[in-house]
Amino acid sequence: MPQIIDAQVDVELSADGDPQAFIWNRFEHTIIGQPQAVFTRTRWWENDGVPLRIDTELWRVDASRGDEEQHRYDLRRDVDGSWVLALDWG
Amino acid sequence: MSFPHLHVASAYSTHYGVTMPEALAEQTKAQDGTFLAVTDRDGLYGAVKHVRACVDAGVRPGLGADLAVHDDDDHLSLGRVVVLAHGNTNGRGYAALCRAVSAAHRTVSQGFGSLPSIARSELAGLAGLRSLTVLLGPASDVGTATGHRDNEDARARLTAWLRAMPADSVSLEVVCHLSEPGTPGSVTPATRMLALAEHAGVPAVLTNAVRYGTPEEAVTADLADAARTLTPLAELEQPQTNGQAWLKPVRAMRQVARMVVDAGLHDAGALDLLFRDTERLADRCALDPEADIGLGRPRMPEARIIGVSGDPVAELWKRARAGIDDLYPRPEAGARRGAASAEDAHARLAHEMKTVEHLGFAGYFLTVARVADIIREMGIRIQARGSGVGSVLNYALRTSSVEPLSNGLLWERFLSPERQTLPDIDIDVESARRHDIYRKLFDAFGGDRVSLMSMTNAYRGRGAVRDAGLALGMNHEQVASIAKQMWRFNARDFRRALEEKPELEPLAAEVRESQQLDQLVDLTAKLDRLPRHISVHPCGVILSDATLLDRTPVQASGMGLPMSQFDKHDMDPMGLIKLDILGVRMQSAMAHAVEEHHRLSGESLDLDRIPLDDPATFELIRSTRTLGIFQIESPGQMELVGKLQPEVFNDLTVEISLFRPGPMQNNMPLKYLQARHGEVMPDYLHPRLEPILRETKGVVIFHEQVMRLFDELTGCGLGRADVFRRHLGKPDQLPRIEEYVREMAGERGFPPAVIDQVWTVLAGFGSFGFAKAHGAAFALPTYQSAWLKTHHPAVFLAGLLTHAPGMWPKDLIVAEARLLGVPVLGLDVQRSTLDYRVEELGDERRGIRLALPELAGGTAAERARIVRHQPFSSLQDFRDRVRPRRKTFEALARVGALDSFIGYDRARRHELLAHVQSLRGTAVTINDDQLAFEVELPVQGFEGARFDAVTSLELRGRSQTDLELRDLHLAVSGHQMTRFYPLFAELGVTPASELADLPGGTEVLIAGVRRATNTPPMRNGRRVVFVSLDDGTGPVSNVVFFHDAQERIGGPVFQTRHILVRGRTRRSGAKGVSITGENLWDLTDVARKVDQRRKAEAAARHTDRTMELAAELAAIPVDNVHHLWPLRA
Repeated sequence: MPQIIDAQVDVELSADGDPQAFIWNRFEHTIIGQPQAVFTRTRWWENDGVPLRIDTELWRVDASRGDEEQHRYDLRRDVDGSWVLALDWG
Repeated sequence: MSFPHLHVASAYSTHYGVTMPEALAEQTKAQDGTFLAVTDRDGLYGAVKHVRACVDAGVRPGLGADLAVHDDDDHLSLGRVVVLAHGNTNGRGYAALCRAVSAAHRTVSQGFGSLPSIARSELAGLAGLRSLTVLLGPASDVGTATGHRDNEDARARLTAWLRAMPADSVSLEVVCHLSEPGTPGSVTPATRMLALAEHAGVPAVLTNAVRYGTPEEAVTADLADAARTLTPLAELEQPQTNGQAWLKPVRAMRQVARMVVDAGLHDAGALDLLFRDTERLADRCALDPEADIGLGRPRMPEARIIGVSGDPVAELWKRARAGIDDLYPRPEAGARRGAASAEDAHARLAHEMKTVEHLGFAGYFLTVARVADIIREMGIRIQARGSGVGSVLNYALRTSSVEPLSNGLLWERFLSPERQTLPDIDIDVESARRHDIYRKLFDAFGGDRVSLMSMTNAYRGRGAVRDAGLALGMNHEQVASIAKQMWRFNARDFRRALEEKPELEPLAAEVRESQQLDQLVDLTAKLDRLPRHISVHPCGVILSDATLLDRTPVQASGMGLPMSQFDKHDMDPMGLIKLDILGVRMQSAMAHAVEEHHRLSGESLDLDRIPLDDPATFELIRSTRTLGIFQIESPGQMELVGKLQPEVFNDLTVEISLFRPGPMQNNMPLKYLQARHGEVMPDYLHPRLEPILRETKGVVIFHEQVMRLFDELTGCGLGRADVFRRHLGKPDQLPRIEEYVREMAGERGFPPAVIDQVWTVLAGFGSFGFAKAHGAAFALPTYQSAWLKTHHPAVFLAGLLTHAPGMWPKDLIVAEARLLGVPVLGLDVQRSTLDYRVEELGDERRGIRLALPELAGGTAAERARIVRHQPFSSLQDFRDRVRPRRKTFEALARVGALDSFIGYDRARRHELLAHVQSLRGTAVTINDDQLAFEVELPVQGFEGARFDAVTSLELRGRSQTDLELRDLHLAVSGHQMTRFYPLFAELGVTPASELADLPGGTEVLIAGVRRATNTPPMRNGRRVVFVSLDDGTGPVSNVVFFHDAQERIGGPVFQTRHILVRGRTRRSGAKGVSITGENLWDLTDVARKVDQRRKAEAAARHTDRTMELAAELAAIPVDNVHHLWPLRA
């Protein structure tokens, strides 16, 4: 079962624009391999107002803190550019 | 480093793409892109705009189309592919692309399906000689198989493509929108497509299947999907998987590519190869706007097609000189005053020809003249309109029928070296023959040289709110009620309008309460101005050489003829000659009149040769009895004609030019009239300007005058003067022009005070006013129709009734005929035909026979049978041959159209009707070559005393007029107001015919049936309501209700049909009179009350009611008004 984290994190991007590390709980988590981005659409007409974007940007990454075992995480980038660590898949 | 997008739908892919080509090109430039292809769905709708935008942005343009393809043998769909044209092929690639698009649309017109689709073999044929590349992407059959993880099928399908297509013309298209795994647009199908390319040794290219420029526009694409499928968003079967189909910059595209490559097992260097092959294809598809597309190079029909064997310039000279010698008086003949001489005309021709030769437009003039000849040879009336009328060349070639020199028209308003665009000549023709002309032109020039032009219809407020409402799944009534309020502001400003406009406050309050309505406001604004669909332009015809179909794709128009996918903005850049051949009903009406006159008398009237100074014609115009006359029949025009009192042809040109929104708002008519009638001294500003301003008494009305003023002030020449004139409407240009004018005019000796004055006039003129050439071209049919009305009223009115060119209802035209002493004859199955025919009545008079289509509820088939079998020997014969439906049969009997079968004895019509009603069973079908059964009908055989046993109650208590109004909506035998005449006499109503003789300020009661209601814009912005009343005695009387009267009367100002008005006469000029309305009553209401009072009085009882009614009627004081209504003997 994934664990809901929902915490704002700082993400370090590579020269290509891919996330390569994020800092969560003061610890740097290094991303391993090619991270995959997924854009999931919303049923925006069911909410208030008309949104700027119709989808949510999620990055599924494998990362590890130091020498610890790697976990799979979902990172969400919001329209304002800020990053949220959404899920820890374990 | 940049990324070349090869698959991009612009907003011209209607209901699919949502970004305009200009924005896409700008964005590409901003992203440091050097190449952009637009590949609209099913066509090149946005192609020309795209190429021009790319040229402006310094981006290399590519063109393609997103097309459906089918298999040749079984017509099975092979999905959608992108067809891209190759550049540097001397136009071969672009031509093949145009033809591929046309071919796809041909399947629709040939009935092979409702959506455009091209056969693969045809596509293969066009792709030969390295002309095209076909991209097989996710929407192709190969892509579909890949999506289903059916590798074997995908490979087989790809092999079929490679076999069918020429070598090196197929690429696989890798598209990934990073959608969720397992959905279309995710990395998995993309990586599999890449693997397929590697396996088959076919190049793969990366695209983003773009539908919008920025991610923010994805919402609009959602709306487009809803509108295209007519389905609310919540119920869409295949909504966009996400909002990633935007014009991504290179970094984002590389990111996508990395994920795609990473998701599968690929050859080393697959990522770089993918980008290299994409670059390579883009290089191949970059089009040279000039060499490949032919941008900016005009192409005229080949000389032989327009009947020219030698040098077109020499031919043009020859024809023009011959035309001048033919049309202008010889020097010795002694010209009429004011008429231009052949010498002047030759001098002007030399001047015009210099420009024509310089610009290389000889072929253009010969082509237009050829078209005019073709139309004339068809016996169709033709009249050039627009600035082209200012040319002696056009007059000499008989393209135009207005003499330019004597009318003071300028060549430079039409064409000069300073004008960079192709000239534009508009031709008005008989509306009823427009389609015949189009077909004839396709025949004469050949289908490969002619096409109709299209027009792009864009979203406006109402359509936008409807489709936005549909997308949100709102209920229809609610959306419709909001749509009704969507006017007088731009939909993109919807939210601001809600805040600012008081009349929208109730809606604004609802919007604040409802989340859905709040969304509706924003969504409506997003749709506004987006292209919605294309349709055939009402008058544009494209003429070119045999390469036309290599330069524009065509599709079938509603009328079946091919229509270009390009609109009027694309014509000039593409070097396509466009002729505006516009159907004008008045031309049809006049042609009908001439034809009828010829049929009756054998005499041919040549309207283009009638003298333009006929006193009787001008007298009729001055009398303001202008109903039915071209351009000057509206109440406002009647009033202006009455004030202006035209005496010569030029006065008509001035009148028509003054009656325009610009001049009206600038109070030009009043200034002109005051000077014309000597109330003020005309102000010519400076003696050197007097010759320019004399004809309009110092008021600048015409574009030509503005040009002459510029020329006289600065010596810039008329060509540049026209450039200045056009820039007057652009505020940012004004300072530059002003500086130039002040400097040059000073040098040329104009005192500063005069320059100040003239500049004020010029700057105030703005873009208003009218080309005099246009006014003169309008004045000609005005004069011609007035001449017909003066001298041949019967045939003229028959023309008006047949073609309905004007603003007035037919019932009023019939009333006018009655007043002119032209009898209108009732419907008669023995004589009435499909149009209005004129009959000689024996006593030198001519009557107009009502036409069959006037019968309400009759069908075209019934009418055709009546005309085919006329005359009928008996009612039985009529029934057997025409086989009318019961409803039609009875209506014909009621209005008297069958009276011939009862010896035109109206008193027996009820018997006839009863008989018709009693008929049972179906009519016997009689072959055309067989005589009808001569079965005697009871009503036929009955003679002598009345057959009282059989009667119909339907006619009881109904006058002939009642019956006519019911079944024909026209009162033929008498005016519908006649029944009120005794009441008018009693009340003291003034007949409309007497109004002209009353002094201004006379208090009157007038009455009649409402014929028109106008609310013209007024200078002070307050609404004024004009109501035109017809009482059957004379011209319509025009009642003006000002603001206070409107408040007093309320709704009935617009609603009441039969009206009694109390008001005062208001004189306007020698002949003009109108009424300022003070109060208004419903005539039917008044009639009832008068009747009740009379009854009450007669009974000498119910005193109270009598008093009450008397009090009510006292509101209509009848003491002071003039009793002019003739009491019936």
